[in-house]
Amino acid sequence: MAVRHPLELFPGCTVTLLLFNCVKNAAALRKRAMEGSIEGALINPAMIVDPFQILVAANKAVHLHKIGKMKTRTLYAEIIFSLSPNNNISDAFKKFGISDNDTAVLIVLVADREKTLNVEDVASQVEGQQVSLDELPQLTDTAKVKKMYKITPQEEKIGTLLDSIVCRMSTKDVL
Amino acid sequence: ALEERLSRRRTAQEARSLLRCRRAGILAPAVYFVDYVTNSIYLEDIVDSVTVQDHINSLQQSGDDTSLLTLAEKMGELLARMHDEDLIHGDLTTSNILLRPPTEKLDLVLIDFGLSFVSGLPEDKGVDLYVLEKAFLSIHPDTETMFKALLKTYAATSKKSGPVIKRLDEVRLRGRKRSMIG
Repeated sequence: MAVRHPLELFPGCTVTLLLFNCVKNAAALRKRAMEGSIEGALINPAMIVDPFQILVAANKAVHLHKIGKMKTRTLYAEIIFSLSPNNNISDAFKKFGISDNDTAVLIVLVADREKTLNVEDVASQVEGQQVSLDELPQLTDTAKVKKMYKITPQEEKIGTLLDSIVCRMSTKDVL
Repeated sequence: ALEERLSRRRTAQEARSLLRCRRAGILAPAVYFVDYVTNSIYLEDIVDSVTVQDHINSLQQSGDDTSLLTLAEKMGELLARMHDEDLIHGDLTTSNILLRPPTEKLDLVLIDFGLSFVSGLPEDKGVDLYVLEKAFLSIHPDTETMFKALLKTYAATSKKSGPVIKRLDEVRLRGRKRSMIG
C-alpha cells in the first residue's frame, strides 16, 4: 500500500508515501516530528492534490540538501517547506504539517543508496489505519488548496490545479 | 563569475515569466524544478505539439487560407493578452509558439522565455512585435495579409494597443530595433 517513487534526477533516491486515516494520535506524532524522533515528513493530506506535488517538493528538498542550501534544518522539514507557495517557514509547517486534531496523515520518507528505510518502524507509530494512496483525492480540501496557492480563475481554464501548484512551488524563490 | 550571474539572472527571469503567464491564464509550460546550480529549468513537455512555424507551412501547402487567418487572429489575441500583462517575450518567432493537440483547437502555447522581461513601455511591446514581424515575413513567404490580421486582432484585444502600434510603425521606419535582443 505504500507507494515508492524513484527520483529521476537523483538516481538511487526513492520517495515513499504512506497514507493513514482514522488517526488518533496526531498530537503525539506531531510532537515526535518536531523533536526529530520520526524519520519522515508528516503532512496534512488535505493540502495535497496528487503524489506528484510531493515528488516535486521532495526533489527540490533533496537537491538543496545535496548542495547545502536548505532553508530549514532537516530534509523532512525542507520537504514541508517546499510545498508552500511562500517563503515563510513557520507558516509552511502550520499549513502543510499536521495539527493536533488531524485524523488523516500523509507520511513521506526519503531513502538513498546508503540509507535503508524501515517503513514498518514509522508506520507502527501511527495509531490509525494505513490506506491506499488512491484515497488521497477524497481527503483533499480543494477549496483550501486553491486559497492557499492563490489560484486565479484564468489559470483554471488553461491547466490542472496540480500544474498551478507545482509552478508556484518551483518558482517561489525568485518571486 | 559574471557568466554565472548572467545565466542565473536569465534563468530566474524565465521562471518568473512562465509563472506570470500561468497566473494570467496564458498557456505556457508548467515549471517543475529550477536548478540554480546548472541554471536549468525542468518544464512540462507539451506532448505531440507542433510549432506554429510548421503548422503555417502545412496550411500554406494545402492552400488553407481561412485557417491561416484564424491562426493569425488567435496569435494576435495571445500577444495582446501577454502584453497587457506587461510581459515582453523578447524572442518572438513562429517556432517559439506551439499548438498543443488537437491542432484544430488552436490552443497556442508560448515557450522560450529566456530573453523575456517585464515592461509597460509601448516601445518594448512595439519592438517585441517587430521582432515577430521580421521573423514571420522572412520565414513564411506571402504572409503579409496574415500578419496584418494578427495586428488587427492585437489592436482589438489589447486595451493599450494604440501607442504600441504607433511605436511599431516608428520602429519599422527606423529599420532596426532599438533594444538589443537576440
